[in-house]
Amino acid sequence: MKLTDRLEGDVVILEPKGKIMGGPDASLLHDKLYEYIEQNRKKVIIDLGKVDWMNSTGLGILISGYTTLRNHEGQLKLVNVTEKIHSLLTITKLVTVFEAYDSVEEAMRSFK
Amino acid sequence: MEKPQIVGNTIVIPSSLDYLVDVDSFVEGLLRGFGLDESTIADIAISVSELVNNAISHGNKSSPEKTVTVEVGRENSSVRISVTDEGEGFNPDDIDSPIAEENLLKEVGRGIFIVESLMDEVEVKNVNGATTITIKKTI
Repeated sequence: MKLTDRLEGDVVILEPKGKIMGGPDASLLHDKLYEYIEQNRKKVIIDLGKVDWMNSTGLGILISGYTTLRNHEGQLKLVNVTEKIHSLLTITKLVTVFEAYDSVEEAMRSFK
Repeated sequence: MEKPQIVGNTIVIPSSLDYLVDVDSFVEGLLRGFGLDESTIADIAISVSELVNNAISHGNKSSPEKTVTVEVGRENSSVRISVTDEGEGFNPDDIDSPIAEENLLKEVGRGIFIVESLMDEVEVKNVNGATTITIKKTI
């Protein structure tokens, strides 16, 4: 997995690419997410459009970020959720937890 | 063992998550050779990654001298993959449901549930100190 990150205003945008399956690659996403949270960034978008697939390790990272941000009055939103990942979110009922948008712009506008 | 070893349709890795990528490349390569579509390959690859993660972390408790063996087989209308560790095994029925309201936001505990959802058969066997989970996907 590769990861790019950027700031647009006060919104953090993380864009993983490849597969999120555990091990050192998955730590990259977790560590970058928490690096921003520790900088008191409270608005985070994870763009999943270039992720081939993820397993429960990837889902665990998304949940961890979601709950940590929520506990700090922040928000984590998903963008470009692929069919394969949407299927996993549905199977695990996490589709009821995450806010998902079709584009970064749409997600940006949704932040209060 | 210091690095993965491949013999035929079998890969053996040391108990380290560093080698998940090696298992995935090996398994996906064979599945592509079988002519499977990308969605089915992804479902099987996700399931294998879950089982190998569990085998390393729970079965072998990341003990460096223990190994995980992954064997891929093709039958007429199905793919069968077994993942063997050197742990004591477990009963899938003992795992809390990850879709229960109280477990929904837990960071772990979804692996076997996902495998059971994506595969057509999942069998767990513990024989002589080795646990083998075999998954089957109809193609």
